[in-house]
Amino acid sequence: MAPTPIISVHDVCKYYGNFTALEGISFDIKPGEIFVLLGPSGCGKSTLLRIIAGLETESKGDVVIDGTDMLGIPANKRPVNMVFQSYAVFPHMSVEANVAYGLKLERLPKAEIKAKVAEALEQVHLSQFSHRMPDQLSGGQRQRVALARALVKRPQVLLLDEPLSALDAKLRDAMRLELVKLQESVGVSFVMVTHDQSEAMAMADRIAVLKDGKLRQLDSPTALYKNPCDQFVADFIGRINMFDVSSHTRNGDAVQFDTKTLGTVTLPASLMPANTRNLAIAVRPERVRVGLEQPAAEMIAVTGTLGDVAFQGDSSLVEIILDGERSITALATEAQAETLMALEIGTQVYANWQPKDMLVLPENASE
Amino acid sequence: MEDFRKHFSVFLTFFTPTAGWLVLLFFVPLGIIWVYSFGENISLTEIKTTWTLDNYKRMFEPQIITLFWRTVWLSTLSTIITLVIAYPISMVIATASNKAKPWLMLVIILPFWTNLLIRTYAMLNILGTRGRINDVLEWLWNLGDGALDLIGLGAFDLLGEHFAPIRFLGNNSGVMIGMIYVYLPFAVLPIYSSLERLDRNLLEASLDLGAGQWRTFRSVLLPLTSAGISTAAVITFIPMLGSFLIPNLLGRGKVDMIANVIERQFKSANDWPFGSALSLFLLYITFIILAIQAFANMRANKGRNDG
Repeated sequence: MAPTPIISVHDVCKYYGNFTALEGISFDIKPGEIFVLLGPSGCGKSTLLRIIAGLETESKGDVVIDGTDMLGIPANKRPVNMVFQSYAVFPHMSVEANVAYGLKLERLPKAEIKAKVAEALEQVHLSQFSHRMPDQLSGGQRQRVALARALVKRPQVLLLDEPLSALDAKLRDAMRLELVKLQESVGVSFVMVTHDQSEAMAMADRIAVLKDGKLRQLDSPTALYKNPCDQFVADFIGRINMFDVSSHTRNGDAVQFDTKTLGTVTLPASLMPANTRNLAIAVRPERVRVGLEQPAAEMIAVTGTLGDVAFQGDSSLVEIILDGERSITALATEAQAETLMALEIGTQVYANWQPKDMLVLPENASE
Repeated sequence: MEDFRKHFSVFLTFFTPTAGWLVLLFFVPLGIIWVYSFGENISLTEIKTTWTLDNYKRMFEPQIITLFWRTVWLSTLSTIITLVIAYPISMVIATASNKAKPWLMLVIILPFWTNLLIRTYAMLNILGTRGRINDVLEWLWNLGDGALDLIGLGAFDLLGEHFAPIRFLGNNSGVMIGMIYVYLPFAVLPIYSSLERLDRNLLEASLDLGAGQWRTFRSVLLPLTSAGISTAAVITFIPMLGSFLIPNLLGRGKVDMIANVIERQFKSANDWPFGSALSLFLLYITFIILAIQAFANMRANKGRNDG
């Protein structure tokens, strides 16, 4: 039996006048998981987080937290706490006072507050900064204050709005790991909003992909990557080479797809999605091999000329230009890339991959 | 800006007229007043500078102390009421939609486009015993009295035998209403700008951490807008201290504030030395208030940096 969800979002809609910010969003968040709301800016992910926090009211639907319907319950009475994108650390209070703020409201004894604050600051490695004012801290340290301030309240769920977006790249990578570790040690569920798919992939147990206020797909990072439900999700999660299908015909166990770039491609019918509107077939760059010789007949192949090879250290992104405007990206290993880089740009090459590596994707699975 | 030393002639060209203007029309008259304050009347038109301190000693006469006291408490109370009214107005403007904001600001700034004298006369019309406010009150009184008649209680005169208009003019209330009205926009602007700069997430964070609206107001909003509030307080209190026209017209000459007495020294009382001393004393009070505010700001900033 699945554990009872800590947060249950049911058919939540949010309208601003005629504008639909969220429509029919439903999902359950399990206790102790890192749940990521992922989507491009303006997809409604932050609004959804704010609705869970009680800072905004849904136009329709329910949010149930730990078995209690949150309808009409204001933000200050909800068992969740938030880490804001701007951190929102109170500038007129010391680090210690910031962290103690929420505890003082619970009217706990002073000694207990002091002990809890010290413990929370320890947890985020800020003990020696407890008497500093926020303007004497770096961005990363301010974020830790915001984290400690929220965690010290022992929330059922910690909500994080783009927690890493204001940090520089190096610090962001370190903080990803640290957040995951922190989550493991405190054991509460994290609900995190981000527009950065690599961040989501690295941290999440499950990801909800949102687009234009609608939930496109909810799955684990690997499932999202391997089996994206539609073209948007496939494109948003990782890199992909996508080929529009002009028409397709089914022939028993096989389906023939007509494409402009690849010509006619025959794939097993098992790859067909339920929704077949505006199909495209796609392949991930790491499945594409680049060779100088004509590949075997069972492979799907396309001829092009070698474009840029973007060195990334352990691997390289290879661009194969097909007919001037279109191109295919392949991910080459270190050894392969070395051979390719020795070639002159414009050399004729064959990009090829196995039919089973292809994905057949509708434009929008939920339509 | 920094290289005014390099282009000294250019600097001089722009600086001289301004500086000259300031020296000629501000510092020189102020100096004359300062010298007068140490003088004595020796005839109806002649003043001799004897460097006496008598004019300053007269400051401690009971009636002058009373006058200062009245000026200070009228201004203090009016400032507090002004701030209490200005704060919610500023909040409304700061939280209004971008479309409504300029219009609301216009409503606040509109009175500046009308002469103070005209506005004060308009206040006379509104506050008088036969003024608009009392018209409304009388109409309400008649309505109430009529209703009492209707239910058979007319004979008891529960609302009094006649309508008794409220007297606003010639007493402290009229002067305070006038000052609050005139200086309200001065208080709204700095408070509004401090609210506008405030990160809304801070208020949401406070709510999120379990604070109610009132606690959030007290622990987050007020402290973070304290700079705006103190600017608003100083910017209204100082001109209120020096109010002349409002106590003169709305006080009907019965509510003297310090400026009214100063004016009398220079005109009807013909005691320029004492008038000068009073003027300077008012100036010193202003300086002290500004110094206190600057000191308080400095401490607030220093406290933040030392932490």
